[in-house]
Amino acid sequence: MSTPAPVPIQGEEPTIPLFAERPEWADVVPLEQYEGVNPLAPIMYTPVYKDATNYFRGIVKIGEKSQRVLELTEAIIRLNPAHYSAWQYRYETLLAIDAPLDVELKLMDEIAVKYLKTYQVWHHRRLLLTITRKPAQELDFITRSLTADTKNYHTWSYRQWLLAYFNDEDELWTGELDFVDAMLAQDVRNNSAWHHRFFVVWGCGVREGEEDRERVYKRELTYVKQNISLAPNNLSAWNYLRGIMEHTKTPYSTVKAFVRPYTLPIDPTSVDIVDLENPPPTKGANLPCPSAIEFLADIYEQEKNTLEAIELWTSLASQHDVIRKKYWEHRIRDALEAART
Amino acid sequence: MSSLPTPSPTDSFPTLTSQTQAETEAVLLKHIPDGVEPLPGLQKNAHMQFLIRNLVQGLPTRYISQDASQPWLMFWTIQAFSVLQVGLDPGNKQRAIDTIMAWQHPDGGFGGGPKQAAHLLPTYAAVCSLAIVGRPGPGGGWDQIDREKLYKFFMSLKQKDGSFLVSHHAEVDVRGIYCLLVVASLLDLITPELVVGTAEFISSCQTYEGGFASASHPSYTLKGELLSSPCPPLGEAHGGYTFCALASWVLLQPFIVDQPTKPTMNIKNLLRWLVQMQGTEIELGGFKGRTNKLVDGCYSWWCGGAFALLEALGVGGIQNADSEEVPIDDPDDPWDDIDDGLYNEKALQEYILYAGQHPAGGLRDKPPKNADAYHTLYCLSGLSSAQHHVFPSTARRQKVESAWEASPDTPNEALRKRVFTSILSWTEDESTSPSRIVGGHTNRLNATHPITNLTMTHTEAIAAHFYKQTVPPRSRKVPLPG
Repeated sequence: MSTPAPVPIQGEEPTIPLFAERPEWADVVPLEQYEGVNPLAPIMYTPVYKDATNYFRGIVKIGEKSQRVLELTEAIIRLNPAHYSAWQYRYETLLAIDAPLDVELKLMDEIAVKYLKTYQVWHHRRLLLTITRKPAQELDFITRSLTADTKNYHTWSYRQWLLAYFNDEDELWTGELDFVDAMLAQDVRNNSAWHHRFFVVWGCGVREGEEDRERVYKRELTYVKQNISLAPNNLSAWNYLRGIMEHTKTPYSTVKAFVRPYTLPIDPTSVDIVDLENPPPTKGANLPCPSAIEFLADIYEQEKNTLEAIELWTSLASQHDVIRKKYWEHRIRDALEAART
Repeated sequence: MSSLPTPSPTDSFPTLTSQTQAETEAVLLKHIPDGVEPLPGLQKNAHMQFLIRNLVQGLPTRYISQDASQPWLMFWTIQAFSVLQVGLDPGNKQRAIDTIMAWQHPDGGFGGGPKQAAHLLPTYAAVCSLAIVGRPGPGGGWDQIDREKLYKFFMSLKQKDGSFLVSHHAEVDVRGIYCLLVVASLLDLITPELVVGTAEFISSCQTYEGGFASASHPSYTLKGELLSSPCPPLGEAHGGYTFCALASWVLLQPFIVDQPTKPTMNIKNLLRWLVQMQGTEIELGGFKGRTNKLVDGCYSWWCGGAFALLEALGVGGIQNADSEEVPIDDPDDPWDDIDDGLYNEKALQEYILYAGQHPAGGLRDKPPKNADAYHTLYCLSGLSSAQHHVFPSTARRQKVESAWEASPDTPNEALRKRVFTSILSWTEDESTSPSRIVGGHTNRLNATHPITNLTMTHTEAIAAHFYKQTVPPRSRKVPLPG
């Protein structure tokens, strides 16, 4: 789902000699992929790709695991990093010949950055790390990868896996909140970073120094309110607010005073005030903000104030968020139904 | 549209996300009909030509990047034909069957190409392709699937937390689980042993946003027993994973009913997340795959198609409505009273018709991108699901149930029967369809099954074969001419 569109081979095909022309490969019988079948929807392979994969099939057939298999699978991976069978066979070969895995990781540093969007490059790293068990240097590598592609799903999942799997407070976790802060300071709309924050603070157990959950909740609440005030029309931040309140089972009504100004048109007469508890929208904000109206309606619903909630849902359906009209009507039906019973 | 839609608000605080969003909106704006030119219809012929070119002439060299996804290329192409109401001729059907069978691994399952390792994703694509072109008997493909080895392959991938690796030494993710469950449900391979713990795993992948992540990370006691928490999702809520998780959840219902403690899913949050994925007017109502990302035609299926699945859980759909209608009336909108959907199906159809079609044939993520096989199918399937209301019908379920021929010697008889009847209970509500189709009857596509994404006919035929059942005929209205 992430990389469905065919991607052109990056740059020129490497000018490596064909395996068929190399004397050191003369003992391997290359295997065509289709035998006795005239395939439908065939891919028009380049000679280099066809040659390498023919030799790969030949190697798999005889089950050879040797140094030269690493060379062959690397060649295939560079031509098609999604060739999971080549990755799988490479991994088995690394183990079978007891290859130095730090060398492999070094190669992966280069390959991963080149083919960021491929599942296999990240999974291969995971396999290696579970053996080398040296996660500390990984964080820097991931941070650099995220600079190139700030929302890469695999990169973020890999970071979360690393933190959860090794779970080492001192080596891995100490700088994590600062890292999220930096990512969100760069782009407050980066939903991957917001999700990472949830993972770090709430999802993966309680870290050292974070045992006082009430204090942590207050810190997070202040943080997300500040970020909403900076750019109110940011669904990521509203979702985080909802997330932490639901996680801690805090009633939505406790933030009513904060939310309300965002549901109204901008007030040109307002003066700049510093209110850490309820930071107001900035001057440049586009108000009213549909996410705030939705939130206030949910507050009313929780308070069993159905009529006020319906009024807000109606305004979303007819004015502020017309594309979701049917959903707002559904909310109205549900609330009426609940009020009746 | 009378006036141009407004750009997404940036609160005078631009970031990389808002800049990319603004660039996309500027492009999409040019695809909003001007009211002077005739509205673009579905270019069925151009799309057919695009697909035929891929099938017969072959796929261009850039598709080497998908050499390990040959079953997918096949499935996307021939299923797109089915959605376009076109079948292959017998000669090409046989060629397709022979090609597909070359992907079966000697130890069970299908690989991404001949002599590639077996993998859950190509196994789904290969089996579903066989549902379209295959048949029973020698050379027909169906009876050449090694079901015993396939089951062993599935079991060899199973993890302690109820999840599955997608292939040996490979990753765990909910796409693999969806693929496994569809295949196991169609081929009569579901057993309690196979799916125990899987619903709990799916449940743990739901994020605070309401959608689902690729996987979750389990924790164990020192003795190796699975703990219920922490079990954090790895990655944020995502349209593709959400579809797979939700469809898996629906497929697991026949098993879940037997469980003393039932895993849970927050359906309210899921629905909210799904509707939030629909872009606004300036995005022509296309769907995005994650919060604050860009719209993409493929999410027409992964997100738009997910609404039908919710109906199996009692959300949306006229059959689930037990309260009075409270439509907010708009006299200018003839769509207002037509149906009971929860998202804007009309706008989604417009996104695909106006922005999703490449002028040279095939469908795409968004302009100005090229068309490709993947986007062609998922744009078409998404369009189809917005055109048709396909729902789990109680009446149909009872009919299939009463026609069930028991085979008392078979283990798990009750479970098998529930799996079979629930997958075949999905029915098209033909009364609403004509009025739902943007652009009228010429744009009509075949309905697809909300879980398998095969047509209803193909789903029924292959399931009936493997369960050795006769499916009662459907009472069909006479199709409209044209």
